[in-house]
Amino acid sequence: MTRNAEAVLIVGAATLASIGVAMVQFARDSWLDADVALTFIVFAFTFGLIHLTFRAWAPNANPLILPIAAFLAAIGFIEVFRIDPNLAALQRWWLAIAGISAALLIWLLRDSGVAVLRRYRYLFLVAAVGLLLLPLLPESWPIQGAVVNGSRLWVRVTVPFADVDLSFQPGEVAKVLLTIFLASYLADRSEAMATVSRSLGPIRLPEPRHLGPVLVAAGAAFLVLMYQRDLGASLLLFALFIAMLYAATGRGIYVFSGLVAVVAAGVVAYQQFAHVRMRISAWLDPFADFTGAGYQTAQGLFAMGSGSLTGSGLGLGRPDLIPEATTDFVFAAVGEELGLAGSIAVITAYALFVTVGIGIALRCRDRFRKYLAGGLTMLVGIQAFLIIAGVVRVLPITGLTTPLMSYGGSSLLASALIIALLGRASHEERA
Amino acid sequence: MNDPLRRTAWTILAGFLILAVATTWIQALAGPGYRDDPRNPRLVAFRVGRERGAIVSSDGVVAARSDPSPDSSQTFVRSYPGGAEYAHTVGFVSVLFGARGLERERSADLVSNRDTTISGVLNALMGGDPRPRGLRLTIDDDLQKAALTALGDNRGAVFALDPSTGAVLVAASTPGFDPNTLIGPDAQPAGQLLDDDPDQPLLDRSIAKTYPPGSTFKVITTAAALDAGIAGPSTEYPDPGALVLPGSTATISNYDGGVCIDGTTVTLEEAFVRSCNTVFARLGMEVGAERLVTTAEAFGFNSVIPYDLEILASAMPEARSFADDPPETAQNAIGQRDVRATPVQMALVAAAVANGGEIMIPYVVADVFHSDGMIESSTTPAVWRRATSPASAAVLTNMMERVVISGTGRNAAVPGVRIAGKTGTAEVTGAPPHAWFIGFGPVEAGPGEPQIALAVVVESGGSAGETATGGSVAAPIAQMIFAEFFQ
Repeated sequence: MTRNAEAVLIVGAATLASIGVAMVQFARDSWLDADVALTFIVFAFTFGLIHLTFRAWAPNANPLILPIAAFLAAIGFIEVFRIDPNLAALQRWWLAIAGISAALLIWLLRDSGVAVLRRYRYLFLVAAVGLLLLPLLPESWPIQGAVVNGSRLWVRVTVPFADVDLSFQPGEVAKVLLTIFLASYLADRSEAMATVSRSLGPIRLPEPRHLGPVLVAAGAAFLVLMYQRDLGASLLLFALFIAMLYAATGRGIYVFSGLVAVVAAGVVAYQQFAHVRMRISAWLDPFADFTGAGYQTAQGLFAMGSGSLTGSGLGLGRPDLIPEATTDFVFAAVGEELGLAGSIAVITAYALFVTVGIGIALRCRDRFRKYLAGGLTMLVGIQAFLIIAGVVRVLPITGLTTPLMSYGGSSLLASALIIALLGRASHEERA
Repeated sequence: MNDPLRRTAWTILAGFLILAVATTWIQALAGPGYRDDPRNPRLVAFRVGRERGAIVSSDGVVAARSDPSPDSSQTFVRSYPGGAEYAHTVGFVSVLFGARGLERERSADLVSNRDTTISGVLNALMGGDPRPRGLRLTIDDDLQKAALTALGDNRGAVFALDPSTGAVLVAASTPGFDPNTLIGPDAQPAGQLLDDDPDQPLLDRSIAKTYPPGSTFKVITTAAALDAGIAGPSTEYPDPGALVLPGSTATISNYDGGVCIDGTTVTLEEAFVRSCNTVFARLGMEVGAERLVTTAEAFGFNSVIPYDLEILASAMPEARSFADDPPETAQNAIGQRDVRATPVQMALVAAAVANGGEIMIPYVVADVFHSDGMIESSTTPAVWRRATSPASAAVLTNMMERVVISGTGRNAAVPGVRIAGKTGTAEVTGAPPHAWFIGFGPVEAGPGEPQIALAVVVESGGSAGETATGGSVAAPIAQMIFAEFFQ
């Protein structure tokens, strides 16, 4: 029954995506072509495939998580198509590849369940660190690091004997692997870490050795920031670690020490890095350096302000005037063309995603599954929060993809894997 | 052990609530401020970046077009292939200077009306074409070019139309400007240069500037006399060298300061042909302020002439302001003193005479057409008002034809074509006179035979300066346009 509801909602999301594409195309060219049908087919294929693998190997999976993801992907895809139809054509491939990857993962875990992942946690940790370091490879190697928009987050592979460059952001997948590692680590250690053994005046401290992971997390995040100039990824990783530590132990000291660490790191970063200073000043007053540092923020505000309550209508705004509108600022593009109504719908969808995901975690009896489901949900929730907060000036711009909505294969792949794991984890608890 | 997890979830959800509040603030409360911020590139992009329909002359020459921008897949670049030729009528759409001319007035037709409302989508699915529509002008490209060539370097204007329909054939104003310079990368200095130019190249002298009409106004004075039955073409008047105005020591003299013919008497027709001020000053006083104003207003003075663009109203002072002042009446009657007319107004005076006394509403947009060439709507000629009786118009036609055959307007004559006209040399204190010619041809056009009525003004005599007269400066310009038209 619930699987049928899921199927109906997925068809709804695919219809939404194709109608959105039709409206954009109509507004621009006054006619419709194969893009509309292709969009419906790709959405139906991608999410239908995950749905079918759920039916086959995780029939008790939560039926809401996939439709919410499909909805967000549909809204994002419409704006990507609106801004650059060529990117949207690629995005369709990424969607299909992400769907196939998620289906493969569900199939792989069909007998062993997510528990098998726990066994390979150090492999995942090494793989994640390796992936994070990949962009630092010299640019002359066949697999090379690449700098995009001033951040060294990309890896480019030149396919031999073919004049094709494939680019991907390994950090996106690394985040998922790190979450699996952390969930596994905390499933073993959370009891011990929650034990308060020492007091320092009024502050009660856990064993110093249990503080290790916090320091490691802070150190890793800071290293990422320094070498890859990626403010967003470091903040996201750090926030995720602290959130998971707190969720697993219930100890406020981790949050407290985490906040101290992040403030300290922030102060050091502010003093050391010009690009961090620029981001902060652009956040405080984007119009002070309107043509420079504040340009992107200001363009986002213009777009959203122009969208007002109901938006310009799909294809009738000018979100293409916003820098990075297909990735970091896709939320502003939605705000312009769909108005406050669209923005609130997107925020609500993310909130729903977090609610459903945490709901899955709460119902889990198995510690690893609980931390895994909780951690992956937080990963999506915190990432969505950080990037949207940057767009609406609640925080400085951090430079992250908008989960499920942004253009980008690596990001979509990571999101699809998260959905597969959430679905599988919820299935195992109900089975 | 679920409580910390719950608290974490609530924290993230609280974060989303903050985002929702911030988004609401930006879009709902601060939204209009951001939307209307002059730095918001949308203000400009929507104006200049969208596809606009083509504007073409009646003979198919492109005056304005939109081409896909080489820089961006979704924006268009507007260009004006004719440069200054259509600049005043077609206007432009500029980032810095806004929109003018038809680009502004007919923007609703020119920009795409595609939308994603349900009715818009249905319309498109039913085969409706939501692409921007184009405008076909009534202006004839060859004629427009001839007028601009004839005006040359002078400050001045030509306005010509088909008297039987109101279709505008020429709308020329010099000096002009190249609208392409106002939309290019150097728009700022180019616009500044035009703004600072004392010759006011941006001003459309044909419809937005008034001049004392001088002797061309005698057509109206004569019409008033004819309509009232006060005089006919053969009514005789004294022919003094100068007319002492009653109740004053002021005099009105003829252009050359001499008598009109022989100093005895002169018929009204003779006086019209030679443009004798003394006779028309006397006639004006006989007609009286009341009838003079009524007739001028019947011809369109003190009214906003309906048109595709905004026309400055021509001015005739109120009757009661000069009814008790014969000298003032006399001066107004010869188109001096307080009478001011735009070239389009004086072209309509000529057109009224050509059209049996009826003025058609002038129009410059003939058709609105779809991108596939199908005509969506065409302008239907319509009568604006009756200026004078058919009988008076017929008499005036004869008199005006004689002006071109043997009078002050001989320079406008085209061999083999019956041209009618009236010259004017409008005195201006402290500056050379404005040279006028109004006229039409052919006289007594057969059914379906193309006809043209026009007004030419050369500001401050042009290159002729103080020696300029309507006959010597404006009539030759009219002649070149007539010659092109009847070629």
